[in-house]
Amino acid sequence: MALTEEELCSQAGSVNEQLARYGVKFGIYKNGEFHEQLFPFDVIPRVIGHEEFSYLERGLKQRVTALNEFLRDIYSDRKIIADGVIAEEFIYSGSGYIAQCDGVSPPGGIYSHISGIDLVQGKNGSWYVLEDNLRIPSGASYPMIARELCMRSIPGAFTGSSTEDNRNYPELLRHVMDYVNTGGHSVILTPGRFNAAYFEHSYFAERTGARLVTCEDLTVENDKLYFIDYSGKKEQVGAVYRRISDEYLDPVNFNRQSLIGIPHIFDIYRKGNVALINSPGNGAADDKGIYYFVPRMVKYYLGEEPILQNAPTYLPYYDADMSYVLEHFDSLVIKDVAEAGGYGVVFGSKLSSGEKENFKAMLRSEPRRFIAQEVIDFRDIDIYEDGQRVPRKADLRAFVLMSDEPVVWKSGLTRFSRNPDSFIVNSSQGGGFKDTWILSE
Amino acid sequence: MAILSCGNSERLFWLGRYSERVYTGIRTLQAQSGTWSSQAGRTCFDDSNPESLCSSLMRAYDNAIVLRDEIGSETFSYIQMAVYCMNSAKRSPAPLLQLQKVNDNIAAFWGMADDVISDEHVRGIIKLGKRIERVDLYARNNAGNDDIRREVMRLTYRIEKTGLHYSPETLSALNELAEERDINRHEIIRKVESLISFS
Repeated sequence: MALTEEELCSQAGSVNEQLARYGVKFGIYKNGEFHEQLFPFDVIPRVIGHEEFSYLERGLKQRVTALNEFLRDIYSDRKIIADGVIAEEFIYSGSGYIAQCDGVSPPGGIYSHISGIDLVQGKNGSWYVLEDNLRIPSGASYPMIARELCMRSIPGAFTGSSTEDNRNYPELLRHVMDYVNTGGHSVILTPGRFNAAYFEHSYFAERTGARLVTCEDLTVENDKLYFIDYSGKKEQVGAVYRRISDEYLDPVNFNRQSLIGIPHIFDIYRKGNVALINSPGNGAADDKGIYYFVPRMVKYYLGEEPILQNAPTYLPYYDADMSYVLEHFDSLVIKDVAEAGGYGVVFGSKLSSGEKENFKAMLRSEPRRFIAQEVIDFRDIDIYEDGQRVPRKADLRAFVLMSDEPVVWKSGLTRFSRNPDSFIVNSSQGGGFKDTWILSE
Repeated sequence: MAILSCGNSERLFWLGRYSERVYTGIRTLQAQSGTWSSQAGRTCFDDSNPESLCSSLMRAYDNAIVLRDEIGSETFSYIQMAVYCMNSAKRSPAPLLQLQKVNDNIAAFWGMADDVISDEHVRGIIKLGKRIERVDLYARNNAGNDDIRREVMRLTYRIEKTGLHYSPETLSALNELAEERDINRHEIIRKVESLISFS
């Protein structure tokens, strides 16, 4: 950075004003009411060196390739089960597995087009994957627009720097949509304004040129999907980047109560007449229980040693792991596999003795419901708060886009906890975000 | 020409109407108020009243925020800033000064929409909403006959460029009404409000 730290931080207010000007917000429900909130931005970037990012890039490509292979396998040949690498109950009892996807081959053969892989860096510098998000990972829009507004507000910060330009995300996303498009327009399907990530839906539509649509704009007729324009004319749609979860996507095939889905869209997807980005059924591969098996998938499908490590994880489902978890309960973090967004996370050390006994009883009765992990002592990164630098826990969501080959976006969403005592970085729980600079040399 | 959904065509129309409602409402307050009155405060800032200017601005915002892909972030940002200025005006000891900034942003929004929106139907629908609202407001607020005639003429010029369904008979009747020596304002309002239909 060509600027001094003081110069950079002195412009923090200007950048946040710019973010407010452009309505860079996320939605949150409190006491049943919807609120829009600005996403707090910290001006000090997370900087990842060229060599280090090259390592992450190789590991992320490898991991996402293996996860795509896994999804293809479990919805077709199921060799990984036949070969005893993963017990079948871990796949079929998970809420993310969708039986209707059996035998379906998605356009382009891609299941996870956009993968959000959450990583943390330990104090020793090692990176660990905490979570794979293969359904509707969100967050890329925030560092992208923050970069643009920082370049406007603090031009000196980029003078002479070798930072990779992260403003190419819309082109990468558009390429993915075009690659799998079966003929016609590409659209972004949003549940509507009251979705937490609505800003991102609308911003990506603006920047990719894909039409932002809701269910009422689309109809299935004669085995094709159409957009209905305001004069009543119908235009074919060939790719849907849907930001609606599987269960609400098609009220005929999934949740009949859904008012935000499109009847029969899954039927024509099954016939190969429209691409859905990401494919339905991906939850079978990003379940927190399946996470445990990802290193095995890498070895099984690719014949390679995993480049990226998981956080040390235990499955109470296995007797040996259950014993370990009960014995080392205080040093572990326990996660409910059905929860997300930082919810359902319990630190053993923070429970009272009564709560611990109750929780252990629940673990014994529902072992498939939980995983346990060693608490990674994250490397703190500094944020600028009240005129000074203070250390906070942070993670990194890296984005991998899959078309003819996997591409890792040269940036990422760095989320941090604003609470000095907390490991929870999620925006829904008060976290903020930083830009992530990847050095090109 | 970009493809445009029925829902978005209606939102563009109402974005035009609500932005005009706030703009003309503030100009009326500026013209009337030697000093700021409690009545002016209620007209402006009572968010429990759907007819207050702050409620109208929030309706403009509600439409603009779901049209980011049609109008662009830059154009949207002026409605967002108008909302911030309205909130500042509410807390200000000199509200008219801040309300001037609301109108500055609305004017910038219209200018930006005209400049950067490439699809003429999208541009045209916002402008049509604005024209219809202005005719309605002028008829209600006892504006001069010449002002009403001018706005009806501008509306007539605009309507073909939108691709919206409208009634040519109603448009013709509206023009005839505007040409009368003593304009029947009640009829003007009735006609202008029944001009457009969204299927």
